[in-house]
Parts: sequence; C-alpha cells; structure tokens
Amino acid sequence: MFAGLHLPRSGAFILDTAGASSLLSGASMSRPSSEAAREWRHAGASTASMYANFFFWLFREPFPTRQLGQQFVRVILDGFGILAVAGIVEGAMFAWLAGWYGTKFSVINWSGAASLYLLLSAATTLIGAMMFAAKLGTAFTVEIGSMQMSGQLDALRLMAVEPTQYIVIPRVLASILSFPLLKAISDVCAIAAAILLSRLWFDISVPVFLQHAQLVLKHTILTTSYIRCALHAFFISVNACGLGFYFEGGAIELGRTTTKSVVINLICVLIIDTVYGVMDSVFGWSTL
Amino acid sequence: MIRARGVRFAFPGRTVLEDVTIDIEESLTTVIVGRSGIGKSVFLKCITGLLRPQAGSITIDGEEVVGASKPRILAIRRRIGMLFQEGALFDSMTVYENVAFPLVYHKLASAREIDRRVMAYLDLVGLREYARATPQELSGGMKRKVAVARAMILEPRYLLYDEPTAGLDPSSSAVVESMIRRLQRERAITSLVVTHDIDLTKYIADHIALMEDGRISAHAAREEAFAEASAIYEHFIENRERIRAENGSQG
Repeated sequence: MFAGLHLPRSGAFILDTAGASSLLSGASMSRPSSEAAREWRHAGASTASMYANFFFWLFREPFPTRQLGQQFVRVILDGFGILAVAGIVEGAMFAWLAGWYGTKFSVINWSGAASLYLLLSAATTLIGAMMFAAKLGTAFTVEIGSMQMSGQLDALRLMAVEPTQYIVIPRVLASILSFPLLKAISDVCAIAAAILLSRLWFDISVPVFLQHAQLVLKHTILTTSYIRCALHAFFISVNACGLGFYFEGGAIELGRTTTKSVVINLICVLIIDTVYGVMDSVFGWSTL
Repeated sequence: MIRARGVRFAFPGRTVLEDVTIDIEESLTTVIVGRSGIGKSVFLKCITGLLRPQAGSITIDGEEVVGASKPRILAIRRRIGMLFQEGALFDSMTVYENVAFPLVYHKLASAREIDRRVMAYLDLVGLREYARATPQELSGGMKRKVAVARAMILEPRYLLYDEPTAGLDPSSSAVVESMIRRLQRERAITSLVVTHDIDLTKYIADHIALMEDGRISAHAAREEAFAEASAIYEHFIENRERIRAENGSQG
C-alpha cells in the first residue's frame, strides 16, 4: 500500500496544503495504476503523514486544552449510547453461550466465570473498538474532510493556526482518554446483562455467578484490556483524522473516503488485537 | 510590498503558473484579472505559503515566503488577511465567534477588548445584529462580509480577496464591492483581488494586471488599463463584446 511513498526528511512532513498536494497527488508514486489503486495509495499516504504530523505538533505550543475538553465531552456523549447497547448485547450473548455449553458439559456454575472472562478480556474491547471506528472514526473523517473541502483548514492556516494542533490533536487525545472510559461503561452493561440472563435463563444465582467469576478474573486482565482500548483509540482517530485532513475532491469522494475510513480502521483494529494478543500470550501480561 | 519574481507552480501533469512576475504596490488595490482556471487563486495561495512554488521568489516586506520555515510562514501570515471564495467560515461557530477567533486563539486581547473589536468590525461590515447567528443562517454576501471582518480583526497590512463577488447576485456584489473600496480608502490597506468580474474591477482597482498562460501579460494603472489600446481592455471588454455580437448574430 505504501510502495512508492517517499516521506520527506524531518521537518518537511509538517504538511500544509503545499506539501500534502505534491506528496499525496500521486506524482511521487512511481507506478501508474488504476484510479482505485491511486485512491488507496492516497489513503495510505494520508494516514502515514498524519502520524508524523501528529507527533511533530503534539509537543509544540500552544496546547489545545479547551478543544481537548470539548472533544472529550463530545466523544463520551457520542459514544455512550452505542457502546452501552453493544455491551448489553455482548453480555447477553456470551452469557447464553457460556450457559448453554455449561449445561451441556455439566459445569453450569462456571458459566459466569467463562462469560465474564471472554467479555472483559476480549469482546468488549474488540467490538467496542469496531463501534468506536464506525461511530467516531467516520465522524472525524467527514468533519475534517468537509472542513478541508470548504477551505476552513486553509482559513485556519491563514490565521496562523496550525490545523493539526487545533483540529487533530484534541480529537486524538480525547479519543485516547475517553475510549477506556466508554469501555468501562460497556463492561458494566455487559456484566449486568450477563448476570441477568444467567439468572433468568439458567437459574444461576448472582452470588454463585460472581464467586466463580472472581476466581478467574485478575486485575491484569482488566488493565491490559484498557491499555488495548487506548491503543485502538489512538490508531482509529489518527487514521480517521488523516483521511479527512488530506482529503481531495467533492461530495462523492468524501463518501468514498469515509467508507475507506471504516474499512482501514476495522482492519487496523483486528491487526492490533491480534498482535497484542500474541504479545500478551508471549510475555504473559494478563497473567502477571 | 508584495513582490513576485518568476513564480512557477505546477500540479502533477499540469503547469498552472509559468513565470509570474508582479509588484503589489503599498496602500493600493491591485486586481489580477483573467479567465477562470488560469491560476489566479493558486497565485494567492502561493503568496500566503499555502502552496509552495517549484521556482521563483515571493517576498512580503522583503521576507522570502518560498521555502520559508513553517514558524516563519506563520509569522508572515499574521500580516495577511484573506477572503476565500466561499468565505470559509467555521460552521460550528457563531458569527461573533468566527470574527473573534484569531484574537481568542492567539490570546491577543482581553475579553472586553475582544468584544469591543469584534462588534466594531461587525459594525463596519453592517452585520452587528447577526452576531449570534450561525453561518448557515447567512446569505452568500453576508458570509463574505463576515469573512472580511474576520480577516480584518488582526489588522493586517495586506488583504487578499479570492473572487469576492463570485456567485453573488448583483445587489450583494455591489455591497461587497463598496465594502472593499471603503476598507481600502479608510484604512489604506494594501489589497490584492483576483477576479473575472469586470464591474468589480472597474469599481475598486488602482492597478490592473492580466494573467494569461501562466504569466502576467499586462500590468497597468487603472486609467491606462482601460484605455482602448491596452491588452487588458482588449481582453476584458472587446472579447466580451465580440463574443456577445457573434452569439447574437448566430441567434
């Protein structure tokens, strides 16, 4: 995807329209190809440039404290509903599966432990990240893309305001801070749904459910899952902002770019989760 | 003074500016005319450092813009206000917040001073009563007036206008024209306007430059430019009259 992309030496990646248009236009891509392939290369170059831009501007004054606060509240409010609903559905689904297999293999009392372990260590993080990418990631891409389309990013530059600092950094940091919180809300909803379904469907009492769950759940499982959430939030938000920031074209292209934002972020979530899972099992982070 | 020498800019596969050389005189309004798509807006973006020319030199008050570092360009931009084609107002903010934005962001004044200046500039463009409105509630002409107020709030030495009357009805165009002229007369701001609007050019220009084939092919004072023998007059007036006559005879 990144073949032919030559990021300039340090400093030159502080891209405004000047740098971006020449870097991302395809002129620096050595191999002619179809329009779709060009668009994907552009998407790859956009996200790669945004990672460089993000770290370049992150430690420079002025720090956008006010915008960070606004974006934090906005991300929490926007993400609350969908992650709570996702938590309830996941909790019910995993409790039912665990209960069904628990009944089949005569270990029904352990079904609470099994469902909570799966939920808290993997499911709420993975599915939550996918929901986050679909809801907030697309919103970031469309917002920033339409700002680029209407000249608002150029207007910021003309007022000596760096758009990366003012627009991107608050969104990325707010995502990193808020997604673990949203995951906690999702966890609570999932646990409540799992307890309720286990009680109503499989007649597992709440004390029995919690007693067995406590035996398998360690705080390291929760800690590593929240770290994973922050990682997901970082990659999702930077990818989404990058695609909007370096967007070129009109309404149809913005639609296509938003679709790319979802696809790239879902793939990214799966890759991060796989890599993290492998490293977790190699280094034993969750069992420390 | 803004001085451009041999500016060349190309998008991949298409050269837009070939060799642009022009001096923008202090405290006057220079209008660059030329047909749509000729590269006028690109030239404005090169002046402000939003686009980086592949060759040539652009200096503002003697400071080189081409190849300048990012912090240097940000500093130079503080001296420049620019009106974009559609106004480019921030649609998540009210009119007041849009105009106040540069002062608030750069913490250049106290809250009371910001309020005073914002209301003064909204008065100047005649939109005081729209301070709490959002850009979506404004007409095209009003948006441009708000954009001018926002561009003026930092009291720039230079104001650049990108097609300020494009897409406006005649009465809104007239309002914007009068405002540009008034700002220039009252505050002696150096203005650079790119347009293909003949009426606007006649009304506001002190100097007129014609952009053709990626170059400034003619540059003259207003009276000279509209004299019958000039290239600009020929381009602007005669071409239009000839095409109208041809279309009329065909009709």
